[in-house]
Amino acid sequence: MIGALYAAAGSDPARLEEIAREFSPRIDVRGPREITLDLSGLARLFGDARAIANELRRTAADRGLQVRIAIAGTGTAARLLVRHRAGITIVEPGGDVEALAPLPLALLADLVSLSSRGSSDPPHGTASRGRGSLDPPHGTASTRGRGSSDPPEAAELAATFRRWGLRTLGDLTALSADDVAARVGQPGVQWQRRARGEDPAPLVPAVPEERFEEGLDLEWPIEGLEPLSFVLGRLMEPLQAHLERRDRGAAVLHVRLHLVSKAVHERSLQLPAPIRDARTLRTLALLDLESHPPGAAIDRVVVAVDPTPARILQYSLITRPLPSPEQVSTLMARLTALMGDGRCGSPAPVDSWRPGSFAMAPFAPSPEAPSGGPGQVGLVGQVGQVSKTEAPVVVALRRFRFAVPARVQVEQGRPVRVTTDRRGLGGGRIEKCAGPWRSSGEWWEADAFGVGGTGRAGEAGRSENNTPWDRDEWDVTVSDGATYRLFRERDANAWFIDGVLD
Amino acid sequence: MANHALAVLESALRERKLDRTLTTALPPLEQGNDVCAPTGVAAIDVCLRNGVPRGQLSELAGPRSSGRTTLLLQMLAAATRRGEIAALVDTFDRLDVASAEAAGIDLSRLLWIRGQALSAASGDEGHRREGMAKSAHGVAKSVRGGGPVEWAVDRALKALNLVLQAGGFGVVAIDLADAPGTTLRRLPFTTWLRVQRAVEGRDTACVLVTPEPIARSAGGITLTLASHTVWTGSCERPRVAGADVHLRVVSPRRRVGGEVMVMARAVEGGIEPMAAGLPNVAAGLPNVAAGLPNVAAGL
Repeated sequence: MIGALYAAAGSDPARLEEIAREFSPRIDVRGPREITLDLSGLARLFGDARAIANELRRTAADRGLQVRIAIAGTGTAARLLVRHRAGITIVEPGGDVEALAPLPLALLADLVSLSSRGSSDPPHGTASRGRGSLDPPHGTASTRGRGSSDPPEAAELAATFRRWGLRTLGDLTALSADDVAARVGQPGVQWQRRARGEDPAPLVPAVPEERFEEGLDLEWPIEGLEPLSFVLGRLMEPLQAHLERRDRGAAVLHVRLHLVSKAVHERSLQLPAPIRDARTLRTLALLDLESHPPGAAIDRVVVAVDPTPARILQYSLITRPLPSPEQVSTLMARLTALMGDGRCGSPAPVDSWRPGSFAMAPFAPSPEAPSGGPGQVGLVGQVGQVSKTEAPVVVALRRFRFAVPARVQVEQGRPVRVTTDRRGLGGGRIEKCAGPWRSSGEWWEADAFGVGGTGRAGEAGRSENNTPWDRDEWDVTVSDGATYRLFRERDANAWFIDGVLD
Repeated sequence: MANHALAVLESALRERKLDRTLTTALPPLEQGNDVCAPTGVAAIDVCLRNGVPRGQLSELAGPRSSGRTTLLLQMLAAATRRGEIAALVDTFDRLDVASAEAAGIDLSRLLWIRGQALSAASGDEGHRREGMAKSAHGVAKSVRGGGPVEWAVDRALKALNLVLQAGGFGVVAIDLADAPGTTLRRLPFTTWLRVQRAVEGRDTACVLVTPEPIARSAGGITLTLASHTVWTGSCERPRVAGADVHLRVVSPRRRVGGEVMVMARAVEGGIEPMAAGLPNVAAGLPNVAAGLPNVAAGL
């Protein structure tokens, strides 16, 4: 037994839903003014269908709502009836087809097109057959057709049926299903089923939206993060319990601090994975507030989360487990608080010829083990013995993020001596050198941005710097045995140490 | 005579069950496949009996251009190839991403913690002011009251502790190769004991890169490195072919040791324009390949 409630225009949708939920937990909100609800089992409480309908109507009237009520064997039948008839309509079990037969076919066209649109707000426009402020629940095919968002198939089918001379649902159900299918295909058959009151899909109960939010008014304003951590802990624990009950995790954590200055300090943390551990959430919130502290003492603390389905983890017996996202996010928050923004993450190469260019990416290792590394080459093993092939061993460069200015003595176009003021960096006579390797770039940006000359050598390694560069590079081995990479800024004719081959 | 006296003494102590206090050295640690993190260099792994011990603090020590960074990147690459994640605390922000990529590191599995790079004049007050200003809300102030170098080392050690305590990393390395010896020697020795305690019992191999051995962990190993650059090409146009890296293994409690020679070659192809196979053009001749706009960069 399915009931349909249809409220007058301008009714509060929340109040209508509230009334429906008082009667049945299985309700389906079809739109702001229409709700279908499963009334099975209510006979024990209220009596027969009419008694239930009367009780519903009385409750709605008490809340200031005017509603139409229809109770039928199926949701489709109840919806069609409630849109057509004012007041209370009760269909006895098994009488759906007969009850629907005199209803106009346009009503079904409206219902189909609205179902296709995902909305049940009915069209307006024809003369009212209802009473009071209730809008007419249905329109003619022509009025329905003016809606630009109506599915064209429904409009075409309705026009086809009208050309056939069909005016009521009974006319449509009287046709042979085979004939309808042969002429208009499966959509026509589905219309026939609906005209008989058959539901295209079972009733799917709407779950009320839950708010995952906790707040606390403080008797005395608090200052500093230490007392706040206790307050946050107290708020996070019930939040965690709530999330656990619903098998949800927090995707976004919102912390709202109402300050004594009447300002609201609000922070939102995007979490890398759904988290519901109270300690982790508290730590993340505290670490974020450590970097972005409120400007005054706190009067009220509100913590809210955007819920998302919890994670399902499949651990492996073979591969080494990675730290959980909670651990990673906590670690990253701690490291960022210690080292500063943008200084922790994964390095990422950038598509540029600029020496030393790179980008920082968030540290988010994938659980899947990577495939094999790059090419394999040989190497010399234990003294006097060649080992089997393994991963390549390539000479690494230790790059000075700020290139070190150097004084280089040049003879016959080649550097012969290098010295620098940097403490700890050796210099001396250059025993061997290779170069120059000339590189330049971003010169095309100079005109676009009105930048003249080359970029500062000290910033050469920064990927975000798009100033032009033009330099000659040299690899030199000095007398102390160290091998450096030098470069000369061609415009400024200045020498720098770019790094050490190590 | 002395041996006889010692034997008599030991026998007497054994009778009184006091011989257990007479250990002259800690028992050697067993080494299995799972308790070591291979370095990815076969010769070294053979010498170390499968790699660097997990749950211990090991050291790569050597002067400038001795191959420390090369070997460190190999270890990190081997860890990421095994599907582990690795962390590098880069005290002075010296990692060259192109070198890391050329070494075969899966960059997405590397946590790179960048310290403060030293500016043009090391130890200048400008850097100090910049660094201090960036320490958010006084979280990381220098506790030892030193200059920017000491401050950077202090923060790097704190970051190392955070990473070790978080756990889950296969290899965690801290790069102190450019820290002055005086700064490192001024660190309390308990610093390394604390690190050792933090890593003990975990699956993490902690690696310290320094100019000279300082931690002297009993359970870990110390690799001292030296190398010389190998040049190739003609006298007029030489080029760096690579480096011969000579390693000496020191391990107090592990039955490993010896010397290894590894040949590292220069980067070829890829990102580095210098090593991209370009000829050593005469000065003044523009390098057209490098000077063209990078179309793939969105220009």
